[in-house]
Amino acid sequence: MTTNLVRLLECNIRNSKATVAQRTMRVFSSQQEQSSVEDDEEFRVLNLRTIKQQARRRVIKKDAVPPPRTTHMPVDQDWSAVWSGPRSFHPASVPLPLRQGYTERGAAAPSKYANAELMKIPNFLHLTPPAIRQQCEAIKKFCTPWPKGLESEATWKAIFPVEVITTDYCHSLPTIRHPEARRVTITLNLVDLKFDAHAKDKFLRLVGERYNQETGVLTFTADRCPTRKQNYDYALYLLTACYHESFVTEPWEASKSEADMEVYLFERNKAKLSAEAILNWNVNGEKQAPSATYAESVEKLINEGENEYNIAKYKEEVLKMLKIAN
Amino acid sequence: MNFLKKVTLQVLPKAEAHLSLGNNSAIHTSSVCCRVQSGRYRITVKRDRPLTYEMANPPHFIGHRKSWNSWNTSTLKDALRPSQTAIEDVFIRKFITGTWHALVCSEIIIKRQHNTIRIAAIIRQAIAQRKMYFLIGYTEELLSYWMQCPVTLEFQTVADKKDVVFKYI
Repeated sequence: MTTNLVRLLECNIRNSKATVAQRTMRVFSSQQEQSSVEDDEEFRVLNLRTIKQQARRRVIKKDAVPPPRTTHMPVDQDWSAVWSGPRSFHPASVPLPLRQGYTERGAAAPSKYANAELMKIPNFLHLTPPAIRQQCEAIKKFCTPWPKGLESEATWKAIFPVEVITTDYCHSLPTIRHPEARRVTITLNLVDLKFDAHAKDKFLRLVGERYNQETGVLTFTADRCPTRKQNYDYALYLLTACYHESFVTEPWEASKSEADMEVYLFERNKAKLSAEAILNWNVNGEKQAPSATYAESVEKLINEGENEYNIAKYKEEVLKMLKIAN
Repeated sequence: MNFLKKVTLQVLPKAEAHLSLGNNSAIHTSSVCCRVQSGRYRITVKRDRPLTYEMANPPHFIGHRKSWNSWNTSTLKDALRPSQTAIEDVFIRKFITGTWHALVCSEIIIKRQHNTIRIAAIIRQAIAQRKMYFLIGYTEELLSYWMQCPVTLEFQTVADKKDVVFKYI
């Protein structure tokens, strides 16, 4: 219908005067604008093809963005209520004129607004001194006083000789488990255990590498069980078992010959017999035994080797034993 | 040892011949392929390419002028599941840039603490607040379901994209 009309109009324009055309156009094409166009000074636009008028873009109503919260903050506010926990930096909540970033030629560093660098770095705004004080006050009721009599390290080391070392791992994973957390290490000084000579020798043979000869510290490490508790129990079991086993004398231990000895012992050797024979020459009554210092000097001479000091000591002891004036 | 002597006697002349050949054509004429381009932006003719601070500093400035976008303990020595964490971070980045379509103005910063994941970014104020709140809840819910741990979004909004532009090259 409209196309026909337009065609008809076009014919009219070509054939008749412009005024007529205007009038007809007014009738057919732009009826609604008729009244307003009447007294308009400007030329009107001839909309022959009746192009569909573009729909006006809908203006999206945007709510006004409120100013940053820092503008209304009172000076004496409770900061721990504003920033209660760990959180990425937010410029509208932190009333500090912070800047971060590298700029060349002495320009000012980027401000805190829309600054991703400030959001990246971990901040401690939730751990201000008043906040820490507040939290300490809150958890104080769960604390118990330090036990009496354990004031110094020496006292508690004497009472608790066994030291248990475990490691807890804090990491950023969905799981809180860490395979290394099961490892338990027990240390104690060898002097804290009571031994006789045989038991000590056997204990040191049983523990082997776990004993540090230089420091005298015994270390048991257990990591073969899946949990820490099991490993702790196992380490304590190892210590207990080794200690009690060292007091057991097996029947075959008596068959240890001189060739099996790892150190020279004065008591078991010919040197003792010789010394006794010399001391008890032509003595019928009470037998005389060589002195302990002589025994020690002989043992040192053979175990540690012949050095200047050992030989001098041995000479001194021999002279003393034979009662020869030097 | 005798057979070794024989071998060396037989092999040596040939090796020497090869070496002399190699010496004749010693000039390397192919193009240099060791160019490093990743994380660096080309200067445009009109000098109108907007760069954020992060983009303006090439990767070798990480730790000097800019810091890391992923913060976790998996990258430490002997730490657990480094590969899974990296893959998850890539997934989180893709999911957020897709969900907040054409709204993310900065890089997505992923910080992990214990079992929580905190995600920070700068967002354009182009959608209504209600939609933004919905998207925050939607993203947190879905991501926490997939990652099996609590996820928190800590977004900062800017009125205009140009607010994050550091310089034009």
